[in-house]
Amino acid sequence: MSRNLTALVARHSSLGEPTAVELLAQAVRERGAVVADDVRDVAARTGLPEATVHGIATFYDDLREPRGALDVRVCTGTACFAATGGRHVAELSDGLGLALGERSEDGSVSLGETVCLGFCHCSPAVRVGDVVDAGPQAVARVLSREPRQAAEPQAQSLLAEPVLTRAGDWSGLRRVLAELTPDQLVEEVAQAGVLGRGGAAFPAAVKWRLTRQAPAAERFVVCNGDEGDAGSYIDKQLMEHSPELLLEGMALAAYAIGARHGVVLVRSEYPRSRPALEEAAERARERGLLGPDALGDGIPFDVIVVDGAGSYVVGEETALLACLQGLRGVVSSRPPYPAQSGVRGLPTLVHNVETLCNIPFIAARGAQAYRELSPGATPGSKLVCFNERFARPGVFEIPFGTSVRELCEDVAGGLRDGARLKAVQIGGPLGGILPASLLDTPFDLEPLAAVGCMVGHGSLVGFDEETGMRDLARHLLGFGAQESCGKCFPCRVGLTRAHEMVQGDAAVDRARLEELLEALELGSLCAHGGGMPAPIRSLIAHFPDELGLA
Amino acid sequence: MRVEVDGAPVEVPEGATLLEAVRAAGARVPTLCFDERLAPFGACRVCLVGVEGQDKPVASCTTPCRDGMRIDTRDPAARRVAGAVVELVLSELPEPPAAHTELAAVARELGVGELRWTGRVHEKRHDMRHPYLALQNELCISCGRCVRICDEVQGAFALTATGRGFEANIAAGIDAGFRDSTCVSCGACADTCPTDAITELSLLALAGTTTEEAQA
Ligand SMILES: Cc1cc2nc3c(=O)[nH]c(=O)nc-3n(C[C@H](O)[C@H](O)[C@H](O)COP(=O)(O)O)c2cc1C
Ligand code: SF4
Ligand code: SF4
Ligand code: FES
Repeated sequence: MSRNLTALVARHSSLGEPTAVELLAQAVRERGAVVADDVRDVAARTGLPEATVHGIATFYDDLREPRGALDVRVCTGTACFAATGGRHVAELSDGLGLALGERSEDGSVSLGETVCLGFCHCSPAVRVGDVVDAGPQAVARVLSREPRQAAEPQAQSLLAEPVLTRAGDWSGLRRVLAELTPDQLVEEVAQAGVLGRGGAAFPAAVKWRLTRQAPAAERFVVCNGDEGDAGSYIDKQLMEHSPELLLEGMALAAYAIGARHGVVLVRSEYPRSRPALEEAAERARERGLLGPDALGDGIPFDVIVVDGAGSYVVGEETALLACLQGLRGVVSSRPPYPAQSGVRGLPTLVHNVETLCNIPFIAARGAQAYRELSPGATPGSKLVCFNERFARPGVFEIPFGTSVRELCEDVAGGLRDGARLKAVQIGGPLGGILPASLLDTPFDLEPLAAVGCMVGHGSLVGFDEETGMRDLARHLLGFGAQESCGKCFPCRVGLTRAHEMVQGDAAVDRARLEELLEALELGSLCAHGGGMPAPIRSLIAHFPDELGLA
Repeated sequence: MRVEVDGAPVEVPEGATLLEAVRAAGARVPTLCFDERLAPFGACRVCLVGVEGQDKPVASCTTPCRDGMRIDTRDPAARRVAGAVVELVLSELPEPPAAHTELAAVARELGVGELRWTGRVHEKRHDMRHPYLALQNELCISCGRCVRICDEVQGAFALTATGRGFEANIAAGIDAGFRDSTCVSCGACADTCPTDAITELSLLALAGTTTEEAQA
């Protein structure tokens, strides 16, 4: 991230003012596209150079394509792919007479793609304005201009007492403020052994200590609400149904590291998340739980929400920090780590939504109670979610160590209509694909890693016998190539080449493919390029014939 | 701080990168997005080296040295991946880079000859309206050197990275060319560009390249 540009952002706008990305999105909402005058205007308002603003406008999905008065965005995420094999996209495109990314000549309608609307429990999903319709009839309803808001998923805890699927009651913060110093809270979180739930499973306390120790007058807590993984709607559930729990988690983290400001970056694909969070924050302010004395007399803490604008890689922490300052959501090499230099160059603690929602329980009940939630496995509990192919899709809170079979068969009820599960992709697009023959693998970090998979963020996208594995490879690599932030060479060019290799039905040269996967794994700057090979390696290992390897 | 490069000890100051250690030791690793006038960027991944005790090669330009580190510039995986990456990057250009460019030199150094990749290449798009500076977008490999030198050294902020993924490229101003941007005609971008995507027009004329006017 350019130091000069972040300095310009800090100098010209105070926290909470709309970012350049938000201003450009506003221009698209008002006029259907970003034009040169918008770029000049946003440059003048933000103090950023015009060229820089132009670069921002060409990066994000929401800013790149023209939008019609009726803006239809079809989900091309993996759960929707598992439901229709991509037919819903073709049907909408035919029905509207528009290719993806096109706007009708009279400007009345546009069709764009969007990667995961978080309605993976009733795919396929289509968004029209802020209405998300989903299910087998969604395309027909959208084509007859009668979209209907789809039902939200259900959330349920399988624990004796829910830790995550509950509204927050701020009891953890109350107890901590009365009984623990910031250092003691950091130690409690270290004892609890909290691992980040955003995908990398990094020990939370290590980041807390680093951020707390970084010398600075000001520090930030950033909540990563980007949840880009197609097939995942866990953070959406938390932000919309347990926003107090998340705010309490952020306040606790702020108390521990000495931060006064919290920022939640929410992806624009979730139109209901930001209002839910802002209403909860307002209620908390009224009760004095956020605001000037939130963390004790004269110790302020408050939270603002910033919008994303359509980019998977913005979920990566350095890209996230760029986006929430209004810049291109491109990955930066570390060091410096966010703990040293994040928002406005100041020490910043970045956590996933679900990770932060774990903290109130530890604050209220202590590390030992937290460790007992999953005996003999990774500490704490985990939210998982299932796609529409399952009989009982939804969000479930489970103890770590449950087998994937129990999850798929008992918790989610197996596939609907008696279909047979062929394979399940776990933990997002960078996660491996578990064939039905390995379902007895325990759902936990090490056992999944041993079979080329990962817990990731916790989604389980099941595929039935209808899904061709070559089609799945094409789907995943198409996603990977399209979402590459374009910074590092292996991912920027390599994912496009990998996608090209699985086009059509021609045999795929296995040695070439593996050479390319190695360059992606070992060469990429971030886990996007580094992780996209994982599901492809699963397909090579378990479905070589379907993949068409030669 | 003391580290080892290919078995030879070398003394480096606190905060030095592996690349600085390699150079201090008189060894070589190729680079494409690196320019010593600019903050390290870590984009090209051609500078990968092996480090004893680490299971994966690391980018030498952005990795700080730790005391006692043992760096291997000939690490087979690192060299293999660097070669594969350069082959990928050459494959995005519609024509091979001119022999005098840094990109062509790095390809020769890594022994990347015949390209095995076919598929998409960058579309030709030229901006020749500035009196001295020419931009040929199809030759851009998104190393970011021009954008960074304009930002970090010149402070003119006339350039930006554009797009993402395979479509990533650069633009001057609001994509209206150097002439209608805050460009101060210092030529720093052309000087640092490793592919001739940005060149001084006079040099381009010497090289006999044909040009067409861009549509803004
Ligand atoms: C390509 C990519 C996408 C990511 N997307 C997300 C995301 O959507 N949400 C998230 O919390 N973390 C995401 N991460 C992980 C973040 O970089 C970071 O590790 C995480 O937000 C830290 O929070 P945690 O320690 O609480 O997990 C992503 C990482 C990569 C490389
Ligand atoms: S791996 Fe891909 S997404 Fe990550 S930095 Fe490189 S180009 Fe960007
Ligand atoms: S124009 Fe040249 S210097 Fe600029 S990003 Fe492209 S290749 Fe690099
Ligand atoms: S709503 Fe389509 S994949 Fe999630």
